[in-house]
Formats: sequence, C-alpha cells, structure tokens
Amino acid sequence: MSKKKPVVALAATLLAVAPFSAHADAAKDVQIAGRALTFLENGPTGKAVLGVVFDPSKPASVAEKNAVMAAIGGGLNTGTLTLTAKPVEAGAVSGVGGVAALYVTTGVNAAPVGAAAKAKKIITIGSDASCAASGACVMSVSADPKVEIIVNRGAAAAVGAVFKSAFRMMIREV
Amino acid sequence: MKKTLLAGASAGLLVAAASAAHAQSIDYGSLEQLFNEPVTTSATGAPQRSTEAPVDMTIISAADIERSGAVDLPTILSRIAGLDVTTWGAGAADVSVRGYNQAMSPRLLVLINGRQVYLDHYGYTAWATLPVQLSEIRQIEVVKGPNSALFGFNAVSGVVNIITANPKFDQTGDITVRGGSARYGEVSLAKSFKLGERFSARFSAGAAKSDEFDNTVGVAKSQQNEPSRVSANLDTVTQLTDKAELRIEGSYSNVQVSDMLSNYAYSPSKYLTGSLKGTLTAETQVGQLQFSAYQNDLTAKHVILGQQARFENKITVVSAQDLFKIGAKHTIRLGGEYRHNEVNTAPIGGAEVSYDVLSASAMWNWAITDKLAFTAAGRYDSLDLSREGAFPAGSPPLGNGYWDRKIEEPSWNLGLVWRATDADTFKASAARGVQVPTLVDLGALQARVSVGPYTLGLAGNPTLEPAIVTNYQLTYERALPALKAQVSAKAFVQKTEDVKGQPTSAQIDVAPTPVSLPVLSYRNIGESKMTGFELAASGEFEAGFRWNADWTHTEVDDEPLAGFSPVLRSAAFGATTPENRGNVALGWTGGPWTADAFVTLVGDHQAYALYAVGANPRLVDIDAYAAIGGRVARTFEGDVTVALSGQNLGDSRQRQSAGLEVERRLYLSVSKRF
Repeated sequence: MSKKKPVVALAATLLAVAPFSAHADAAKDVQIAGRALTFLENGPTGKAVLGVVFDPSKPASVAEKNAVMAAIGGGLNTGTLTLTAKPVEAGAVSGVGGVAALYVTTGVNAAPVGAAAKAKKIITIGSDASCAASGACVMSVSADPKVEIIVNRGAAAAVGAVFKSAFRMMIREV
Repeated sequence: MKKTLLAGASAGLLVAAASAAHAQSIDYGSLEQLFNEPVTTSATGAPQRSTEAPVDMTIISAADIERSGAVDLPTILSRIAGLDVTTWGAGAADVSVRGYNQAMSPRLLVLINGRQVYLDHYGYTAWATLPVQLSEIRQIEVVKGPNSALFGFNAVSGVVNIITANPKFDQTGDITVRGGSARYGEVSLAKSFKLGERFSARFSAGAAKSDEFDNTVGVAKSQQNEPSRVSANLDTVTQLTDKAELRIEGSYSNVQVSDMLSNYAYSPSKYLTGSLKGTLTAETQVGQLQFSAYQNDLTAKHVILGQQARFENKITVVSAQDLFKIGAKHTIRLGGEYRHNEVNTAPIGGAEVSYDVLSASAMWNWAITDKLAFTAAGRYDSLDLSREGAFPAGSPPLGNGYWDRKIEEPSWNLGLVWRATDADTFKASAARGVQVPTLVDLGALQARVSVGPYTLGLAGNPTLEPAIVTNYQLTYERALPALKAQVSAKAFVQKTEDVKGQPTSAQIDVAPTPVSLPVLSYRNIGESKMTGFELAASGEFEAGFRWNADWTHTEVDDEPLAGFSPVLRSAAFGATTPENRGNVALGWTGGPWTADAFVTLVGDHQAYALYAVGANPRLVDIDAYAAIGGRVARTFEGDVTVALSGQNLGDSRQRQSAGLEVERRLYLSVSKRF
C-alpha cells in the first residue's frame, strides 16, 4: 500500500524526538494540591488558607515559596475551594494556625515539619515525591510531565485525613 | 485529538458545578481537571486515568463532539481509529471495531451511562433510537476488543459507553436549532437544574427529520421510511445521605428509519423505546456499593421478507457490585447480575422466547510497582433459555422443551500496563469475550417464505452456540511534549470461534418430514481470524491548530467448517472487511472562530448485494473512498454559536455499500448555552 511508507517514516521521525526534560512548575503543582484537597472526606470548602513552608536559608525553597505565593495571589480557585496563602518558615510550623494545609517546598527538612504538622493534625503536601514517600508529608504532588499524586497512608491516618474512594483508586498510595 | 484533550477543552461545554456534597458517583469533571486527562470506568469498573486503562480505549470528549459538526453518533464514531461504519441511509448505520461489520451488527455493545441501548432481541444498535442529545454527552468511551468480563455478553469486538453529564456535578444548558439540505430539521434541548441542596436533575429532548438518501439503487419505495426521531430523557440524582445517593434515569424514543436487515434487504422500520433505571450508590466501610436495576422496553416493527414483523422486547437487569481497595496496591471489584430478556416470535406470532442470565464477576487491579500495574477480570454467565407458546403449521415436530437449554460461559480480561518512562507506556492485553446468540437467532424468528415453487420455513436455532472471541494486543504509546503530540502503535490478533451464519435459501438446515417444511436457520459455520496493526498520532501546533491521523490495517481470514460457505451465510468477513482505513483531521481555534476538517479513508473491499427474492447472497466490489466532513463556527456574545457543517462533502453522492448511496449534506446550526 502506497500510504505505508510515509506513515512509517512519520512515526519514526516522531519517535526519534526525545521528550523535553521535566521542569517543576510551582503554579501547576499548587493547583494540583488545591484540587486534591477537594477529594478529602470532610475536607475544606469555600475559602481556605494554605501555609507555604519554606527554609529561608535555602534559595531554591525561597524561590519556590515565592512562585507559589505569586501563583495563588489574591485567591486560587480549585473547584470547590478558593485558596489564599501565607508563608510559614519551617521552624515556625509548630506555632502555625488558621491554615487548612501546609505546602512544603522542596529543600525544606521535611521530617520535623511533618512531625510538627502531625501533632497539630494538619495535612502536609510536598512538591517533592520523597516527602510523601518518607512519610513526612501526607501527600506529594507534581504536575509535569504528567500529574502524579502520592499519598502516604500512615501520614494520612496520623492527621485523620480520609480521601474519597474514587480518588484513592487513581493515585499512588504508599 | 481524542483522549489527550486537556481538561479545559470540555470545560466550556460542561461546567463542573461547585458542590460541597460528598461524591459517591464519579465526578468526571473534577477528576479530569485534577489529572489533566479524561477518566473512565469502562475498562475495569473502577475509575482510572485514560492513559492507565489496561484496555485499548479512545475517549471522545464533549468538545470533540461539538467540533465534529456531526448530527449523529455513527458519523462521530467513523472518525475513530479502527472503527468501521457502514451507512445504510440518512438515519441508519452499523458500527464495528476492526472489521466484521454487517447489517444489524451484533458484536458491539453500546451503553448510555452503563445501561445497554443496543436492542437485545437481535443484538444490534439502531443508533437513531438512542435517547441522548449530542449536547448532553460528557464523553464517549470506545473500548476496542472484547470486554465481556466487565459488561457481559456481546462486548466482543468492543464497547461504546456514552457518558452523559451528571446533573449533580455538571451544569448543562443548551438549545440547538439546526436546518440543512434534504429538508433536514432538528431541535434539541438539554438543561440541568437543582432543587435545594440534595436534588439535581437534567432534562433533555430532541426531534429531527430529513429526507432519505435518493434512491439510485432500485430499492422499493415500500422498503423505506423517511428518517425521523423524537426522544426525551430525564436524569435525576438525589443525595439521600452524606454517603449515599440515588440516581433515576428515564428515557423515551420514537423513531422511523430505512433499516438494513441482516439479509441485506431494506425495511421501513419503526421503533418505540422506553427505559427506567435506578442506581443506588453508597460509600461504606466495605467499599463503594452500587445497586442498579433497569428495564428496557422496545417495540420494533420491521418488514421481513415482505411480512410485517412486530417484536415486543423487554429486558430487566438487576446488578450489585462492591468496589474497594485493599492496602495501597490492590483494587477489587466484585459483582453479580441477573438479567431477564424476552421477546415474542415474529412475523408469525403465538409464542415467546426468553432467557434468564445469572452472572458473577470480579476484577483485581494490582499496582505492582510505581510503573507497572496488572489487571485481571473474570466473569461467569449462566443462561437458561426457554420458549412458551404454539408452533406454526409446518414446523419441525419439536416441543417447547427443545428450548430448555443452558449456556454457561466464562469471560476474562488480562492487562499489563508498564510506564517505562514519563513518556513511554507499554500495554499488553488478552481477552476472551462471548457473543451469545440473540433471541431472534434462538427462535424468535418464525416465518414462512416462498422460493420458486417451494415453501420453506424460516426459524431460529435454539442449539446455536455462542461465538467466542479471543483477542491479544500489544500497545506502545509515546508522549512528545516538545511537539505537543503523542503517537501510538498497536498490534493485535483475534480469533472468533463458532461464527454465526445467517439463514440462506441456498442451504436447507432442517430436512423436511411428512409433517414439516424444510427449514432455513442460523448455524455456527466455523472460525474467523483477524490480525492487524494501528498507528496513530495527534497533537497541537502553535496558533491554535490541532491535528490527528491514524491508519488501521486488518487482515481477516474466514475458515468455514466443511459444507458451509461464508458468502452464502452472509458472514464473509474476510471479503467485506476493508484491509485499510484511516483518518486525518485538522482543526483550528482562534478567538470566537473554530474550524475543523475531517477525512475518513476506507480501502477497497466487498459488500453484500441487496437481497433479491430467490437469489443467493453475493458480493459486489466497493471502491476505496474518502468521506470528507467539516465545520466552521463562530461564537457570539451570550454564548450563542452559529455553525456551518457538512458531511460527505467530496461528492454529491458516494457509494459506500451496496445500499443507498451516501449524499452530501450541509447543516446550519444555532446553539445557545444557558
């Protein structure tokens, strides 16, 4: 068939193009985080505050915090939830109040942050997969190159977070 | 173009409602927005991302449907890779997956929100009877290959599951008025509303009519109907408690079309359908429980061999399932179903054929690693056939007890999905599907026909065996984010055992006796094998352009039993399946303007000539053709869209089968969203 060769050639050309490497996008990640919160049983609705945890000594953490704050701006609509944000230094998590969840930026020493959040029954969301994998965070999210959500069942149980069953069947649990 | 559409693409049509209620049914919109890709439950019964489903699935979004410019579902489906659509008239078509298409095609299971809408007396889909407006469809999930393990009998070559907007989650409001060539006229309405915090509903209704295609092939006027349809649907969701909801759906349709019967004779058919379905879903400590019950009522009037035939078909289905997760890695679905299906005999009445089916099913999804998942699903169906009533004079000397028969068959699906990298996904699947003989095959067809000086009986065959379809497929998918594109390659092999052959006057199936006529009937005539591959690519360019292209190659080899001819039994699938078919589409959106063009290419193949009294079935050549469609639309303030669309634009008249030639049709639509 005459159509065969051009099609195969096109397919070969496309397959030879390597996908670009992934770049973290704080705005997309926090959008995913906000939407994921709407799949909590008895989760926050309406307006809620997201604490953005950062380490002032880590430039990457500060940069991500700034990006998240800018993305949320005056309010980020994620379906049933409108998020506003406030920055929280990593060392101040044990004293934080009035937040629906904590967004832990990459570079923050997650273990003590997670422990402090568990003590206050606050959900923690990391932009680094290792945060949930290690149990420091309840959930990790990333938007690129494909949306990935990891929930640590132990960490979730520790803060009393229960996700809806449809959501649980579509994400990775550890 | 299809399943890779971003979540936002359909958001303009179906706006996810801000609902604080706890979700028990699947909130497709929110999950689609979360994962940035369509979600489905049609692969395993559990919600899954389309890219991770362990079956070959294409999802047609609401945006795709709108941009298609099509006024019917078969036209939309004809643009999906590997689907074969034969258009018999302005209101009638048959659809199949990767070949094996035939008049009154019985191998495709079609559902609306999980309720079967294919007509169960003869196992085919009269597409015009579907009580759904295109504007209320959230997505159409097309599964290629058997999926009987989830859906039961007849999901053997594929499944088309039409998912409508859920009034609990999706705010829908659309009214469309459409006119066109050949005196086409249509009006449709779909509107969702809420009463209080706990009750949601969506009402839809529509009507359409047009002239039939010009009769250039000598079909008798008495064998045709000018196509028209009226349908209505009401879909309600009541939140009973925070963790339980009740969904009630009711529908009605009244349709007339020029049908192509399975003996390749036209029939001026009329259909009246009604349905009522209730689904109770509850989130419990033992998982998500779902209880469902529905009844479909059908009156189908055909003219078979010049005789008026009226089938009254009723199916009742009651099912229960539990969907739950064990630990972090295992998702389980357990289900049970009872089904009763009954229909009268026709054209000669006086009896009823029915069956009861008990089914048990289970599905296990195992996330072996972050990158590797395995799914196994199985189902066991046990069917009890029976017949009540009198026999017409000249029938073989058999009693109703001859129909007391049990058919027991397992179905299974196995799937392995390996996400090798962020860009590369490999899938392997194996499946066994069961195509159970229809009630017409099993005895509801009861007629007497004259062939020359002889009188013959025409009857169903209660000993007919189910056709068993086994399918194996390998799939490779690669995302190319740098090009905003994705490509895929698939290879598949399939075998159908106990292929059903149609009655033919060329072969007597039951010899005459001193008290009975010779009888023509349905027979299992052997095997048929199919191999093939599919290549597909889709993507977006800068400046609002989108594109997709696909090519599917299949080779079908019929292997009849000694003494049977696939040609004479109207089952010559090797000849009637085109080896090649493909699609190319290009679209563009800029500001308020949208333009799309579609080309569907179908290679040379053969088709059955129209039935002629006393003549044996025979094949005729169909040359390769390209069906061109398109749409240009502009949206104005107030969410009013004016669209000009057309189908079969390349020719004023195009031969796609041995039936009526498909005409060029143009449509002008005005839609208002509210």
